[in-house]
Amino acid sequence: MTGLLVAKQILMTLYSKYEVYITPLLKFLLALVSLLLINSRIGYMDSIDKMTVVLIVSLMCSFMPMNFIVVVAAVFIMLHLYAFNLICTIVVGVGFLLMFLVYLRFSPKDTLVVLLTPICFLLRIPYVIPLVMGLVGTPVSAVSIACGAVVYYMLHFVTQNVSSILAMVDEEMTVKFKYVVDGVLNNREMVITIAAFAVTVILVYLIRRLSIDYAWTIAMAAGVVVNIMVLLVGDLMFDTNVALLEVILGNILSLFVAAVLQFFVFNVDYSRTEKVQFEDDEYYYYVKAVPKISVSRPEKKVKQINSQKNRTSSKTRSTH
Amino acid sequence: MLNEERIILMTKMASYEAHEGKKNVAVGSYFRGDYVGWHVLKSIISATIAFVVVFGMYIYYDFEVFMMDIYKMDLIEFARRILSRYLWTVGIYAVISYVVYTVRYMKAVKSLKLYYMNLRKLAGMYKI
Repeated sequence: MTGLLVAKQILMTLYSKYEVYITPLLKFLLALVSLLLINSRIGYMDSIDKMTVVLIVSLMCSFMPMNFIVVVAAVFIMLHLYAFNLICTIVVGVGFLLMFLVYLRFSPKDTLVVLLTPICFLLRIPYVIPLVMGLVGTPVSAVSIACGAVVYYMLHFVTQNVSSILAMVDEEMTVKFKYVVDGVLNNREMVITIAAFAVTVILVYLIRRLSIDYAWTIAMAAGVVVNIMVLLVGDLMFDTNVALLEVILGNILSLFVAAVLQFFVFNVDYSRTEKVQFEDDEYYYYVKAVPKISVSRPEKKVKQINSQKNRTSSKTRSTH
Repeated sequence: MLNEERIILMTKMASYEAHEGKKNVAVGSYFRGDYVGWHVLKSIISATIAFVVVFGMYIYYDFEVFMMDIYKMDLIEFARRILSRYLWTVGIYAVISYVVYTVRYMKAVKSLKLYYMNLRKLAGMYKI
């Protein structure tokens, strides 16, 4: 444990020392991963489905605000869909527009979650997001996660029904439009996932705010259990064919990621908890203070041992 | 001679000015009514655009049925129903916006008060 704490201390020192370089690098990596995933899934427009374009745009993102990555990802999605099918572009574009008009203009801090949620879905660990946002965010983050889930399921519908959509070339526009809208809106799996994630975020948030020992750990465990439960109940009620093993493994992995986050964000020593009570003119205060675990970095002492040759030469010099 | 306490306070205040403070100073430059009113107005415009887009999608979804029914339906009643839904949507959204921006304004003002208090404290340190 001490070794881990020292490593954490070193990482924090390194980050604060090289923040100017590390932050753009992380932005670059996030943009790169996002754009590569988009290209690999819906890479219909050849002109932007190139490594050089992705690298240049990612490099550009590294010097821009974080929300710029979200805008770039949305533009990439729209361009690819435009090259594929106009109706899909309109439906997805309207989805993006509504998200921006109704919710995202309120909470620009959470915009990144809308990008991270589909990425985690593609990496098969979407359960990380509600756990993490419950721990570091607020219950309102449930809306951002829902927006991210909608983005994922919209694109998932398009990628799963490429042949059906292409086969409708001769159909009228309204028929195609109806097919895509129905496919996007009548997705029970999406509704259940959004519900499960919302319940998880709210529950994790409420438990981790409680004044009990190990609140974060209890919140994480409860979040995972509730997430699995809601998904399974949803599956039983609406027959959504949830892959049970994938859900359980994904949640366990999410628990691990959340534990790592806890180590970096909220590492306290409950054994040294102090409860104090005092008063002023207006209030009585019942304060519970839990100390953070911190270790000082072991200092390396470099002891210089002069070689035999040096010592003899210095001796001779001193006798002269 | 360096005054350590003063340097710590100045560093904290400079950090605040560079991040959160920049936004809060902008918010604090408005009167509460102006700030909240302006944002509620923007919300109403956003909600109107969103409503028009959703309504357009709704009509286009069943366009053929709608075109067939348009001669049979009571257009005034239809318009009244749509208008009432529009007013409900925009009204609820405006109320939510009002609450959100009022809370944000209060928080910004509270935080600025603390900042100005520190500023006075800093000025006091120079007088000593």
